[in-house]
Amino acid sequence: MDDMSKQKAEVPYGTLDLLLLKSLETMGRMHGYALARRIEQVCGDSMQLSQGSVYPALIRLQQEGWIETDWGISETNRKVKFYSLTTSGRKQLLVELANWERATALVARFLEASS
Amino acid sequence: MTVRRALARLLALAQKGSLERDLEAEVQAHLEMAEHDALAAGLSPEEARRAARRQFGGIEQVKEQHRESRSPIRLENLLRDFRYGLNGLARDPSLSAIVVGVLALGIGANVAMFSLVDAVLLKPLPFPDPERIVRVWEAPRPGVTNSTTTPDFLDWRRLGTSFEALSAEVPVSVTLTGQGEPTRLGGKAVTADYFRVFATTPLLGRTFTQNEDRPGADATVVLSHATWQAYFGAAPDILARRIILDGQAHQIIGVLPPGPFDRDDAAFWKSLIFTPDQYLRESHWLGVHGRIRKGVSLEQAREQMISIRSSMIEVNPFWKKDWTIVVEPLGRLLVGDNLQRSIFVAFGAVFLVLLITCANVANLLLARGAARSKEMAVRAALGASRGRLVAQLLTESLVLCLLGGAAGLAVGSLLIQAATPYLAQSIPYTASIGLDHRVFAFAAAVALGVAVVVSALPALQTSAGSLGRSLNLASRGSSGSHHRLRRFIVTVEVALSVVLVCGALLLFRSLSKLQQLDTGIKIENVITMSLSLPARDYPTADRAAAFYQGLAERVKAIPGVLESGLSTHLPLRWISNGEAVEIAGIQQPVNVRFKRVDPGYFRALGIPLLAGRDITERDRLGARRVMVINQALASRLAEVGGMKNPVGQSVGLYSPRYIAKGTVTEDVEIAGVIRSERVAGPGSPDPAVVYVPLAQVPTQEIKLIVRTQADPSSLVPGLRDAVRELDRNLPLGDVATMQEVRERTLSGARRPAWLIGAFALIAALLTAIGLYGVLSQAVTQQRREIGIRLALGAQPRDVVSQVLRNALTLVLAGLALGTLGAIALTRVMKSLLFEVSPLDPVAFTVALGCMTAVGLLAGFVPASRAAHVDPVTTLRDEG
Repeated sequence: MDDMSKQKAEVPYGTLDLLLLKSLETMGRMHGYALARRIEQVCGDSMQLSQGSVYPALIRLQQEGWIETDWGISETNRKVKFYSLTTSGRKQLLVELANWERATALVARFLEASS
Repeated sequence: MTVRRALARLLALAQKGSLERDLEAEVQAHLEMAEHDALAAGLSPEEARRAARRQFGGIEQVKEQHRESRSPIRLENLLRDFRYGLNGLARDPSLSAIVVGVLALGIGANVAMFSLVDAVLLKPLPFPDPERIVRVWEAPRPGVTNSTTTPDFLDWRRLGTSFEALSAEVPVSVTLTGQGEPTRLGGKAVTADYFRVFATTPLLGRTFTQNEDRPGADATVVLSHATWQAYFGAAPDILARRIILDGQAHQIIGVLPPGPFDRDDAAFWKSLIFTPDQYLRESHWLGVHGRIRKGVSLEQAREQMISIRSSMIEVNPFWKKDWTIVVEPLGRLLVGDNLQRSIFVAFGAVFLVLLITCANVANLLLARGAARSKEMAVRAALGASRGRLVAQLLTESLVLCLLGGAAGLAVGSLLIQAATPYLAQSIPYTASIGLDHRVFAFAAAVALGVAVVVSALPALQTSAGSLGRSLNLASRGSSGSHHRLRRFIVTVEVALSVVLVCGALLLFRSLSKLQQLDTGIKIENVITMSLSLPARDYPTADRAAAFYQGLAERVKAIPGVLESGLSTHLPLRWISNGEAVEIAGIQQPVNVRFKRVDPGYFRALGIPLLAGRDITERDRLGARRVMVINQALASRLAEVGGMKNPVGQSVGLYSPRYIAKGTVTEDVEIAGVIRSERVAGPGSPDPAVVYVPLAQVPTQEIKLIVRTQADPSSLVPGLRDAVRELDRNLPLGDVATMQEVRERTLSGARRPAWLIGAFALIAALLTAIGLYGVLSQAVTQQRREIGIRLALGAQPRDVVSQVLRNALTLVLAGLALGTLGAIALTRVMKSLLFEVSPLDPVAFTVALGCMTAVGLLAGFVPASRAAHVDPVTTLRDEG
């Protein structure tokens, strides 16, 4: 396991929230497993994500009031928690997106100027 | 973090159970779905299960992260660790009991000491705006303060606008009659402003009004709360009563609230009304207190007093040029330098005990930490962060220390209760020692501090050690680094104990020097008591002289009495300054202490005559004035006045008058020289003393000194009868044997010795426990090695000597460190030591010897255990 983490990039710090919110916006109501799979698929093999790490992030977003949960039935016929975006979550997504764009633009400008 | 999230996290704490179940369900569902997908992708069931888990990552770590992000994890952990801590303590009750016991001793001693320091040094005086209360003195020389005169006080009061109130006082001693047996009562005569200075409002009635200190005012008294309780049974109608003081009826006008005044020497306060003969410019007799006006600084008040002095200098011929006025805050005055120093030294000692306590508890916890390193390693492997492990150990120590702190409070309050009666005499009357919120806060702070210190070492040790190594060491016991740390701690303990034991031994050495102190008098079978002749019944010197002669005759007639004497001052008690002798041709008078004695005095105390003659019956009122001087004065006269042979010479002597204030200078012939008797406690040289025949200069206050054949206390009733036959209303006060008087004089030096001795004993005990713990653990760890050595033919003797050598190495390092510490620290005790150097070799040698013995004793039990190691069992157990 140690070896693998050296080859693949970890999810950049602070972006997991953004990925989760964005996924929920695009896909609507989802459970944890689906969210983890979605992020894995979109990012492809370039990203190292332990699927379990979405859960600590999800509880944080939920406590902030950006997402809400309800119980539903999974594909395997099991009771499972579904997550969906709240109104304040949508607003937060916009804030995070703006932040992200500002940050990447800044870094891009900096790299251009430095090259 | 947003407010919302913070609230949600707090809420999560309460919903912990259901959140944990939800998480578990969610994780299980996740794994199932992942497994399902993997199966669909064509993996075998076994492979699918493994893949699902691999993709998920560390399940326990995720759960731990989940917990950390959903709730205020520190708080949650604290609660959990608190529970763990309690469980851990319950698992090992004997260790817990030892730790709590050791902590209770250490913290308890500190709590008791702190409440003393707090009461004496830290707490403000128990009066409103205490910083504005000052004492005002005359200062003839820098560092010397003096009482003042009536006219000067009146000038100060008239001109001192910096003061809201300025009051004068003199101590008085009266006989209370009409309340059963006649009783002597100490009180104060004060001017009307006295209670305004202290801003004290009475519990009952009133205090003095402005005109009550004018001539012709009614005789009134204010009682202290304690007096009201003790002498009047707290009678509610007290304000309607009159009491008879020295035969004169006084109206009771008020009772003070309970508190500081109860511990003052005064039982009552009466008005100080100046009589015409008290307006003398040369009679310095008044103590002055003042309350500085609001908004005026101490400095301003001081400057004003000094300018008043300058303006009065022409009017007042008695003021010498360099005399000045001193204004000192009351708070500072109440605590003498020596008391302060004693307290600091004792607090230092008790702090060392606390350090040793910490070291010991750290040691015990280290031993436990060693035993638990495997548990820790397992928890770390399961995802607990290092911080969590440290936090757990910290909270465990915290639980122990809080228990220890609570027990310490109990021990402290017991110590305070036990010590207060002994301390009451030497601490200022405003201080009240006891447990209050400040002491509780201190105890809590100490407990927390100890918890941090005590757990920091073992905690770092336990969690920093490589986890893998701890696991691998399973069969071999703990790692060596624990052992090194523990050895270091014990070395420090030994060092601290050496410092304490050294300090205690120095004080005891000083004490034994004091016991051998030459008092210059015979002390055995001597009893003393005091008498005070009321001015009303003894208005003239003749009457007083007649009474004293009658008393001496009656006392000598009592069977069992060998000798009896009368004197204004007991031996070994301080005589205040103020009188002087003038020698013809010498400008500067020689200051002397003035003591009046009757013909029996020198014989009763066995003071030898060196030259000339004794005081005799013929030296009565009207006869040629004579005096006897002590050796100290004789050599002073030889030095200053060139008087080689003082006997027969005449000098001018300032003598106080009977009842009236002021002194007269008379020609007095020196009749004899006696060997100096000790006038005060140790440390001060013999002052120059003149002994004047009591019959020639009678006074109201007198001490009766009686030497008896056997136990003197059996004669007290007979002595009382003798006095009563002469004067029915005259009580005998302050009955004490000379032995007790001596104890009182020396007790200032004795108290710290016993206190620090007790601390040193505790310290040595704790150190022995620490040493024993380390050595005994070392033997346990080396059981295998010892077993092999024994099996290979080593003698038990060799094993014992190895363990003892081990003990000695620890002790020797501690001794070296401790000696350095003691050299540095005992210097602060210099002023408490009498004829002993702070580097006294005897004390140091004995201290080092004691600690070596303690080390060997602590090593002996583990050593003999080592010698009885059975090679076969040991090797089988561990193999």
